[in-house]
Formats: sequence, C-alpha cells, structure tokens
Amino acid sequence: ESGYAENGDFDDAEMDDYSFSCYSQLEVDGSQHLLTCAFDDPDINSTNMEFEICGALLEVDCLSFNKLQGVYLIKTKKFLLIGDSKICVKLGRKSMTCKKMNIVKIVKPEAPFDIRVVYRKGANDFEVTFNTSHLQKKYVKELMHEVAYRQEKSENDWMHMNLSSTKLMLLQRKLQPNAMYEIKVRSIPNTNYFEGFWSEWSPSFHFRTPETNGPGEMD
Amino acid sequence: MSADIILQISSSFQHCLKVYSICVTWNASEYPGTNLTFLQKLSSNEAYRPCSKYTLQQGYTAGCLLEVEKDEVLYFSIRNGTHPLLSKSLWISSYLKPRSLSDLSFQWHQGAVTVTCSDLWYKGLVYEIQHKSTFDAEWQSKEAKTCNVTLDSLDAEKCYFFRARVKTLESSYGSDTYPSDWSEVIRQQRGKLTDLCQEKS
Amino acid sequence: YNFTDCDFKNIKDIYQDVIHPELNVYINGVSEETFLKCIFIPDCLIKIEHFTFKPIYGCASLAKETFAKQTNATLSLGCSGYSGIQINNTQTMKKRRKREVKTDKCLEQVSYLIELWRRFSRIS
Repeated sequence: ESGYAENGDFDDAEMDDYSFSCYSQLEVDGSQHLLTCAFDDPDINSTNMEFEICGALLEVDCLSFNKLQGVYLIKTKKFLLIGDSKICVKLGRKSMTCKKMNIVKIVKPEAPFDIRVVYRKGANDFEVTFNTSHLQKKYVKELMHEVAYRQEKSENDWMHMNLSSTKLMLLQRKLQPNAMYEIKVRSIPNTNYFEGFWSEWSPSFHFRTPETNGPGEMD
Repeated sequence: MSADIILQISSSFQHCLKVYSICVTWNASEYPGTNLTFLQKLSSNEAYRPCSKYTLQQGYTAGCLLEVEKDEVLYFSIRNGTHPLLSKSLWISSYLKPRSLSDLSFQWHQGAVTVTCSDLWYKGLVYEIQHKSTFDAEWQSKEAKTCNVTLDSLDAEKCYFFRARVKTLESSYGSDTYPSDWSEVIRQQRGKLTDLCQEKS
Repeated sequence: YNFTDCDFKNIKDIYQDVIHPELNVYINGVSEETFLKCIFIPDCLIKIEHFTFKPIYGCASLAKETFAKQTNATLSLGCSGYSGIQINNTQTMKKRRKREVKTDKCLEQVSYLIELWRRFSRIS
C-alpha cells in the first residue's frame, strides 16, 4: 500500500504521525466482508478521528468505519473486489492522511482450527489434520498453510512446514521419544488474485510422543 | 432439449491424430425400434450432413462418432425421418474428456516428491495427483493448474502409490465435461520405482 | 472499443476468482439451454460488454448487478483507453429499492454471458 498525506493542508510540524494499517477478511459472516484498520502508533490520541473508504465500492461512493476500542471496522457486502480504494483518516471534514489500498491485496484469512494429531503405530508417524473455513468460501478458497511444532521444553525451537492441503505426516524418527510437543497452524492467501497476510495462529494442540517402542500417550 | 431424448456427449482430443473425436449417444425410449438420424454441421450457414459413423444398440441407431480437427461449434439435429426431435449447438470442448496422463516423472527431495508430466495443450485444466502409502486407507489429493505438483511430508522409507488425472475448470468449460481416466498406478519406495508394495491397511 | 489492447491474463484472473463466482450466485443453479458463439478474444469481450450492459426488452437491469459492476471495473482496469460504462451509484440505489424480479429474459442473458466468459477463459 502506498501512503500519501492529503496535499498541503497542514505544516509538517503540526501533523502527528497518523500512519495506519488495514487488512480485509472476505465472507467473514455469510457474504459480508470485514475491513479492519488501526493506527500504527497505539498511543495516538484518536479522539474524534474517523476513517473513511472511497472507491471500488458497490452502490455507494464512500463508507465510514465504526470505531471499537481504538480499532476501526467496516462490515459490508459493498466491496467491488476490483481496483483500488482510498482510505483516509479524517478529523471532522479534513483528511489528515490517506492511503491507496486494494481490498483483495490485504486479505488476512481466518485462522485454521481443529488441529489434531493421531499417532499411527504401524506407520511410525503422526497424522496431523486441521480445518479451515475457507474451503466453503466463494472467493479466497486457495490458501497456503504453515504448520509449526516444537518440543514444549525448548522455547523457541520451532520447526516449520508449508503445505496447501489440510493433512500432513510427521515422522516419528524425526521427533524425540517420550516428549511433549506443541503444534499449531496458520494460513495465507495462495491465488493469482487474492494476496495478503498470515492469519492468526490456530489454537495449539499438545501431544506426547511414545517411548521409543512403547504405545504413544495422547493429550 | 426435448425432454424425451437423453443425450450423452463426450469429446476427446487424439494427440497422435491431432483431431477431436466426438461421441454423441442418445436414449430415445419414446421411439423404440426406430432408426433416428443424426445430422451435423460445423458452421451455421452450412447444410447439415448425415452422420457417417453410427453406433447401434439392439440394431438401431443410438449414437454418432465424428472427428473434427479443432475446437469448433458443432450444430446437430436428431430426427425421426424428417421430423426434428432435438437440435442443439455447442462448443466441442464444452464436453471435453481430456486424455489420461502417461509420462509421469518423480523427483524426490527431503521428505517430498515433485510429480511432473507434460501439460496438455489446451488451457483451463487442473492436474490432480493422488497418493497413499500402504498405511493409508484413502488417497490424498493435491491439485495444480500445471502438471508440476509437490507432495510434502512423505517418508521415503515407506512405499507409496501414485496416480494422476486431468479435470477441466468449471469456469472455463462448464459442468458437462468429464475428468480424464486415472493414469496407471505407480509405486515408489526410497525414491525408486518398485512393484513390491503390498496393501497393509 | 475493440478490446484488442487489454491485459487478458489479468482479466482472466479476475474473471475466474471474482466474476465467475458472482455469475454463479446470480444464475443460482438455473440451467438455460442457450448457446452463443464468440471466436476470438476481442470478439468475446465485445459480446460480453454488449450482453452485460445493453438493456433489452424483458431485461433492462443487468447493469446494476454486482457481476456487471465487476465486469465494468475489470474492463476499465484491464483495457487501456476503455472508459467503461457510466453506472450512477445513487441512481442504482433508487432502482434497487423497487427490486426488479430476476426475469427469465435476464437469466437467459446471463447464460449467454457465462458461455462467452467460459470461451474467453479457454482461449486467453
């Protein structure tokens, strides 16, 4: 997103830093989309500050955001999903700063859920499966997922795997025996048209690996 | 379409002959014991030509086989004598059944395998690769828009079955097409072709 | 406008990911026995523009449908020199209030559009 301030209304000195970031979630509630924006500086005094989006909208020229605990939201069906919009921070009728953004290029998928791990004794592996609400959507159906897993006692030693399906196998011989593991997954758009950011991580799942030859205990 | 004639149409592209072969079959239960005629043309201002290669069922015409060099609009009419029962026009490709894939190649690298084959020349296709190990009850599918698919989290020690087919994108062909037949099943273990996989599950 | 100077790849991406799902929403499973031919890519886009925006007797309202606005934006973005069809937002709001029933004629028009877009998608 390229950002630019509205031309010439204020001396630079007077202008606080009104930089902001936004992300969109499509079909988050039926066919309603959600656009979320927030100031990059969490400590900014946002009293009387409003956000407005114009352009690439259906039936209307502009829409105003609702404010909820310092975050600005729009839930609507009126995104055209083609072309750039202009999002402005407004103080009364004055635009403090504006950014050109394309709703389909700032998509943040919903977090995956229901991650499970099943130990397969004969195969000496763990079958990891999870779910995503995006399989039922009309638009952002194709995602790339990132699975991260670690031994619980090793704080930041995460292992990562990227996949486009919702099932993968962890090989038993690649994990420590009789150890507690944590595993989680997140998603990012993976199509020619829709782009954007990583979702939040799914809730973690915890599982224990079996002793070298014994039966595995699950959480 | 006249409700009492049930049509089945499929077209496939014969790569060696560089022609589309089209098979139109009809089930006209209301006209038992009747040799219905099939007339066709490739341009709206041409005259209809009778089918040159009928298929029969219980001795009566039940379908027509024809070959066309490129994706064209087929105009056809099914008649009882001179009385037209059904007339239709369609793009041959909208009833496409792609040919099955044969030249699959496998590239193993750190717990993953990349399966490739030569893309068919027409667009709007989806290449589906399925795999399962001897421990898996069901095939697992992965699709891509080109015949270059990487399957992750595999255990090179295990024995895997692979197969592939081609499907058409609904946004390009509609929903009257058919997936290709599956390729032959290929077994791989430790990165090599093998015949010894036994089904365990 | 002859639709020869366009970014056909980009138009195809938008059609497959945005317009096609929206056309399916409109047609909602109704299958029409229609057939309309377009041979080359520009010919397809010319006919797509015609059937999307040209009101006809029995179906005067497609231009305000979501897929039509998406088509308008796609062609405007994808084809240099194409200025698109002027669809007045506020005027659409008034027309939208007295919602016109989806006529058979409109379903037939959209079936033609689906055929044309599919053909465009196969050859671009």
